[in-house]
Amino acid sequence: MPVVIGFEGSANKIGVGIVRDGEVLSNPRRTYVTPPGQGFLPSDTARHHRSCILAVLQEALHEAGLKPSDIDAVAFTKGPGMGAPLVTVAVVARTVAQLWGKPLLGVNHCVGHIEMGRLVTGAQNPTVLYVSGGNTQVIAYSERRYRIFGETIDIAVGNCLDRFARVLKISNDPSPGYNIEQMAKKGQKLVELPYTVKGMDVSFSGILSHIEDVAHRMLATKECTPEDLCFSLQETLFAMLVEITERAMAHTGSHEALIVGGVGCNERLQEMMGIMCQERGAKLFATDERFCIDNGAMIAQAGWEMFRSGQVTSLEDSWITQRYRTDEVEVTWRD
Amino acid sequence: MASGGAAGPGLAFELSVPFPTSLLAWTALGSLGPDPEPRKGGILKELDVTENVLHARWRADEARILRVSISSFLDHLSLVVETMDLFGPVA
Repeated sequence: MPVVIGFEGSANKIGVGIVRDGEVLSNPRRTYVTPPGQGFLPSDTARHHRSCILAVLQEALHEAGLKPSDIDAVAFTKGPGMGAPLVTVAVVARTVAQLWGKPLLGVNHCVGHIEMGRLVTGAQNPTVLYVSGGNTQVIAYSERRYRIFGETIDIAVGNCLDRFARVLKISNDPSPGYNIEQMAKKGQKLVELPYTVKGMDVSFSGILSHIEDVAHRMLATKECTPEDLCFSLQETLFAMLVEITERAMAHTGSHEALIVGGVGCNERLQEMMGIMCQERGAKLFATDERFCIDNGAMIAQAGWEMFRSGQVTSLEDSWITQRYRTDEVEVTWRD
Repeated sequence: MASGGAAGPGLAFELSVPFPTSLLAWTALGSLGPDPEPRKGGILKELDVTENVLHARWRADEARILRVSISSFLDHLSLVVETMDLFGPVA
C-alpha cells in the first residue's frame, strides 16, 4: 500500500497532498491572491510559495496523521508552469526526499489533472477537456500516450477570463473565474464576440483584444452591463470548447467526457458540456473545486501511478521545465 | 555541476556554506544542483561539496545577471536550510 506525497506549485496555488491507494488522506492548499486589476508575476508567486510551503507540508502530514517514515515516495510538479514557482517547490521536494531517503517522482502537471479526474469520477477512458489558466487541451488516451486532439493556439481559456477580469477590475478573491461566473448568472444580453475555432484548435487572444477594445465604450454608453459582458464571454468561450470536445468524441467514438483543470469547476461549462454529452448518449464527468483547481493530491496520484509501474526520477533528472507537453509522457500505468 | 553557457572572464563570485554534517551538505547540493540557470549564456554557476561545506562559484558578463542568480540561489538555499531544520536529523 504505497503512500505518496505530492507537491504542486506551478502557478498561484501551492498545495501538498497525500494519497494512499486511491484515497486522499490530506490535500491542503494556499492561493496567492493579487489585488483587482493585477495578475500574478513569477517572482512574487515564488515568494508566496516559499513563505508557506513548509506550513502546508506540516499541515498535510498532520491532517493525514502520518510521519515522514510512513511516506513511500515524494512526487512534485516537473512542469509545465512558471519557472520560479516550480523551482521553489522542487527544491523542497528534493530536500525532503533526500532527508527521508525516499524516491522522487517528477510529474507532468497536465497528467496530474487527468489522473486525479479519473480517480475522483471513476471515468474509465474519457475524452478529456483540460481547461485552466495556463492550458487548454482536448485529450484522448491511445497507445501509452495522452494525445492532444486540439488545443489553444495562443492563450489558455482561463488566461482569457483572468485578463478580462482585470479589465473590469473584478476581484481575484477567491478567483477571477469564480467571480465572472457569478456575474454571468445576472447577464441578460448576449453581446456578439468573435468565435474562433480553427479545425480542432481554438484561439482566444483575438476575443480578449476585442472585448478589451469595446468593453469600456459599451459600458460608458450603457449598451450593456458588466454582467452582460461576463455572460457573453463565457457563452462564447465555452461554446468553442464544447464544439472541439464533441468533434474529438465523434472521432474517438468515446462515450465519456471528463472536464479537468481550474476552469472545469465552472458550472455553466459543466452544464453546456452535459447537454452535448446527453445529445450524444455520452456521460459527463466533472469534479468540484477541491480537485479541479491545482492541488497536491493530483500530483501525488499521478506519482502513485508512476511509482506503481516502476518509474522513479533520479535527482539529476529532477530539473523543472516550463514547457512539458502532455503527450511527452509515456503512460506506463495504463494498457 | 555546471549550468548556463560560457561566460567571459568578467565578474566572479564565490560562496562557501558550512553545514552541520557532510551528508547535509551533499543533500543541499542534491536539492540546489539539478535546475539549470533560466537564462542561456552570460552566466556560469558551479556547485560542489568538500567535507561539510557547499561551495558555489559564479562567473558572469554583467552584474545584473550575476545579482539575479545569486539572489535566487540564496532564496533557495535558505528554503533548503529551513526544510532541514524542520524535517532533518535532530542535531
